[in-house]
Amino acid sequence: MNNIVLPSEKTPEITSTDETSLLVIILDSNPSQKTLRDNPHVLTQCVDSVIALANSHLMQKAQNKLAIMACHSKTSQFIYPGPEKPLDVRQIDGQYEAFTIVEKTTKHNLAKLLLSENSTVITESLLAGAIAMALCYIARIQRTKPPGAKLNSRILVVTGSGSSASQYMNYMNVFFTAQKQNVVIDVCALDQHLSLLQQGCDITNGLYLKVPQLQGLLQYLLWVFLPEPPVREKLVLPPPVKVDYRAACFCHRELIDTGYVCSVCLSIFCKFSPICTTCHTVFKVPAPLTVKPKKKKIKI
Amino acid sequence: MEDDPKEYRWETGYEKTWEAIKEDDEGFLEASVADIIQRAKRKRQALKHGNQKLGMMRHLYILLDCSDSMSSQDLKPTRLLCTLKLMELFIEEFFDQNPISQIGIIIMHNKRAEKISDLAGNARKHIKHIGSLNRTSLIGEPSLQNGLEAALSSLKLLPSHASREILVIIGSLTTCDPGNIYTTIDSLKQEGVRCSVIGLAAEVHVCRKIANQTGGVYNVILDDSHFKDLLFQHVDPPPAAMCLESSLIKMGFPHQINNEGSEEPLTMCMCHVDSMDESSSKLTTGGYYCPQCFSKYCELPVECRACGLTLVSAPHLARSYHHLFPAVNYNEVNFENQTSYCFACQKNFGESDKQVYACPSCKKIFCIDCDIFVHETLHTCPGCATNLATFQISH
Ligand SMILES: [Zn+2]
Ligand SMILES: [Zn+2]
Ligand SMILES: [Zn+2]
Ligand SMILES: [Zn+2]
Ligand SMILES: [Zn+2]
Ligand SMILES: [Zn+2]
Repeated sequence: MNNIVLPSEKTPEITSTDETSLLVIILDSNPSQKTLRDNPHVLTQCVDSVIALANSHLMQKAQNKLAIMACHSKTSQFIYPGPEKPLDVRQIDGQYEAFTIVEKTTKHNLAKLLLSENSTVITESLLAGAIAMALCYIARIQRTKPPGAKLNSRILVVTGSGSSASQYMNYMNVFFTAQKQNVVIDVCALDQHLSLLQQGCDITNGLYLKVPQLQGLLQYLLWVFLPEPPVREKLVLPPPVKVDYRAACFCHRELIDTGYVCSVCLSIFCKFSPICTTCHTVFKVPAPLTVKPKKKKIKI
Repeated sequence: MEDDPKEYRWETGYEKTWEAIKEDDEGFLEASVADIIQRAKRKRQALKHGNQKLGMMRHLYILLDCSDSMSSQDLKPTRLLCTLKLMELFIEEFFDQNPISQIGIIIMHNKRAEKISDLAGNARKHIKHIGSLNRTSLIGEPSLQNGLEAALSSLKLLPSHASREILVIIGSLTTCDPGNIYTTIDSLKQEGVRCSVIGLAAEVHVCRKIANQTGGVYNVILDDSHFKDLLFQHVDPPPAAMCLESSLIKMGFPHQINNEGSEEPLTMCMCHVDSMDESSSKLTTGGYYCPQCFSKYCELPVECRACGLTLVSAPHLARSYHHLFPAVNYNEVNFENQTSYCFACQKNFGESDKQVYACPSCKKIFCIDCDIFVHETLHTCPGCATNLATFQISH
């Protein structure tokens, strides 16, 4: 990639030593996603690329922090640093050993998780849930950081799954929480276009990239997702795509551009119905568009 | 007098928390204070449930006292400046929680009421107006009646499905009214306007009367942090008044039109088309298009001027869904080594975790910090959301 514009010489605001960058990578390792069903070897390539990205992140600054999660449909797990005591890899006296630990721990925990996955049924990867866990993790690191230290956190989702509106509510909750907590959500789509996750990137000022070909995954990860958000303005990155901000109706979970909204609970429906299925309010006749205020006695 | 039996509740507003403060084993007080705060948060959270019907298309007029009494320095730096600062925070938070609601601002000074910001859904505009108030001259007495009438005349025009509210912030202990304020209170009541009052000085009878009669709340502040608490309780939507007519409203969710490659033409947005102020009227390429008539707007939410469709951004609507589908409350259980770490944040449980929190739906165990974070901010249980068997049940 030779179209990277080097950042200008002085960037004092990002080299300050008490700033830590926490990167949480969510790797969709659900064996039933299409890319993996077509070619299981892709997983090895993805894992290797993600580990290379993770280590490059750690290499950038000594105090950078890292977590890697695996997302499936029945559970999501932190695979680095794992739930268990850190793997015993002698003494850490150089950075290279730290890198070995990342690789060994990640692969060890991922293999264990994959072995416990026994069904072959095609299931959805619950990415919104994994992001929710990541946000709790980030909130803890934020709470327990030394006073005065500055922590910049971001979440990178790497997935080959398709997008489904069934997680709509969970997605919206995690996107707005991330926005509130100043956590950037980046998404690297391996296979299909993910319109809901794209909304999340837009809401949190993250980057969305649909990788043109899987072969170049590592290059794309290092080019687009390694730079910290403050540096990104100075780089030539893929142009922003216009975001599709349609809503998902509650009745069919389909994206619509006009719909009916319940005035009591704000549920969205694609057709008029006499009763709200969410709050069970019974509606009057279809509301004409310009409701003229009627002077009316109030009923009890 | 059918006065509230819990009158002067504000005097006990701060419970005597120090009586509950105990030294911990090492003789430190700090942990136990933090504990009290966290427990209070959990309690408040528990009360929120089962309150599903909310009037979320809220229309709130804020009546701000800008009379002489607001220059008093019992709040720092002055009553007015302290109020304005809190007001900015309040407006942000209000629109965060009530995305398609509207606020209007009226100030009361020199016996007159002056509308400084019309009912609108744009937080930035209101904050700008609030910001410019710090140069307002604080003169004369306020007129509560004129203020209420001004708000009422605008709220009256709203469609019947809208919830109508007034929030009065008053520092003065007197009001200078042209007529009988009780007739105004009666018409507020009749129009279903819920009227709450926050007093900055001391209990005033007429204020209590206004709140009691219209179903609002009346409080008097103790200090600035108490003021903030009282103000922020108005962020949560009040239980929908029973007389509200519910309806299904047609709305549009504009998306930015994506015509690959071709340059978008410069067009004028409908919201600024008749604005003669050159700084704000502009030709732009981006914008949101009404899905029904293709008029362009540069901001949402807005009511389409050409076809009347209410245009909102879908994610903003989604911001308030946690009121409808709150994450299920966790149960406090004694820690008996059920697991060695919190499912969400991965914190290892240790000596200090006497209690942990279990989700009744996914059965996962969480620490107290995650319990609070999930229910106050996230509104999605990380355990439920990561399992196909439960990811939608909690909703
Ligand atoms: Zn539908
Ligand atoms: Zn409803
Ligand atoms: Zn405009
Ligand atoms: Zn229109
Ligand atoms: Zn936790
Ligand atoms: Zn749960």
